[in-house]
Amino acid sequence: MIVDKIKKRGPSPRKQVNNVDIQVGKWVSCTNCKEILYKEDLKNNSNICPNCGAYFRMHINRRIESIIDEGTYKRFNLNIDNINPLKLEDYPQKIDKLRQKTSLEEAVACGTGKIEGENVVICVMDSGFLMGSMGTVVGEKITYAVEKAIKLKYPLIIFTVSGGARMQEGIMSLMQMAKTTEAISRLNKAGLLYISVLTDPTYGGVTASFASLADIILAEPKAMIGFAGKRVIEQTIGESLPEGFQTAEFLLEHGFIDKIVERKELKHTLYKLIKLNK
Amino acid sequence: MLEQKKGDNGEAIAKSMLKMAELKVPVIAIVIGEGSSGGALAISLGNKIFMLENAVYSILSPEGYASILWKDASKAKEAAEKMKITAKDLYDLKIIDKIIKEPEGDFDKLANNIKKEIINSIKELKKLSPKEIVEQRYNKYRQMGEYKKLDFKEKK
Ligand SMILES: [Zn+2]
Repeated sequence: MIVDKIKKRGPSPRKQVNNVDIQVGKWVSCTNCKEILYKEDLKNNSNICPNCGAYFRMHINRRIESIIDEGTYKRFNLNIDNINPLKLEDYPQKIDKLRQKTSLEEAVACGTGKIEGENVVICVMDSGFLMGSMGTVVGEKITYAVEKAIKLKYPLIIFTVSGGARMQEGIMSLMQMAKTTEAISRLNKAGLLYISVLTDPTYGGVTASFASLADIILAEPKAMIGFAGKRVIEQTIGESLPEGFQTAEFLLEHGFIDKIVERKELKHTLYKLIKLNK
Repeated sequence: MLEQKKGDNGEAIAKSMLKMAELKVPVIAIVIGEGSSGGALAISLGNKIFMLENAVYSILSPEGYASILWKDASKAKEAAEKMKITAKDLYDLKIIDKIIKEPEGDFDKLANNIKKEIINSIKELKKLSPKEIVEQRYNKYRQMGEYKKLDFKEKK
């Protein structure tokens, strides 16, 4: 819900880089160390700057490649589109353009796959698609995936990156928070394992629903996680907030998340957690 | 506010919704004024949702909405018209179950109207078993969102 606040945050010394995982061109510059990087090198290094170690955001396909055993990912064929509930003039075109640019259907992809041989239902969000915002399609896909996990009795893994609820679909987006939460409550009742992995940035209605409701909440280092943006909170309460507020490290210290895991360790960590909870 | 200094309220909203989703007793939520964003949602996961005739319920204040979507908070009026926030809008979107009439200047009559709806709802929901109450609430939110078929092939 604070999409613009995130955009306005501007450059900062933290090691998370606001670079989107761009598909075109061969070179990209690291916003942290300014080094010009060959994309192939970046790709082979889990989208981590080989020079300074800064994390780049990840395209859904690349994230799935890095987590799911090769050739085992099977996407759910939902093939749904939103109906533009607020009848905004430019919204459908905006979505169309994004689909061409990102070659993604929407801001989340869900399916089944294996992690070191273990079956899972996995959902991955993408910041390149309207800042990973949750509209009706994202809400439906997440809910569908949760229901599938219950049906298949598979653990559920969700990678989040989001600016929050999608403004363009108004109140219908807000309701997706309730819808996905209802689904998680069923998953809990079924006694299945749910692990969320919060990546930079995870905000708004996604933080305030399924992202915070996992049995185990992991985060990538230095990820920014919150509900409202730091500046908005400071203005509202009229006080300044502590150093490091809304970083994964700060949230770990205060018990809101369970563990910070390096990107290259994520797959094996997920495997170990699944094994442990079997 | 102190808690906000540690983790802000996202988790609190999520946990509140989750608790409401688990409740085995009927929940009736009534929007009586301005309901907005996660805070309103956090305490309104109901088997029945009503709105007073002149209440509004929105994803965000129109000012906030205009500043995010159009980078211009002064377009709040335009935003309010676009956002579908009135009781009638939410009824048409099938988010709320009923609009409660607000007879002008007559608070006793309004209170009576609200009371009547609460009693009717309890009577109706009392017929359900605890399990059915949880299911009815699930199905209510499950169907929120309307879709059309998508013609698009994801490239690898
Ligand atoms: Zn770098």
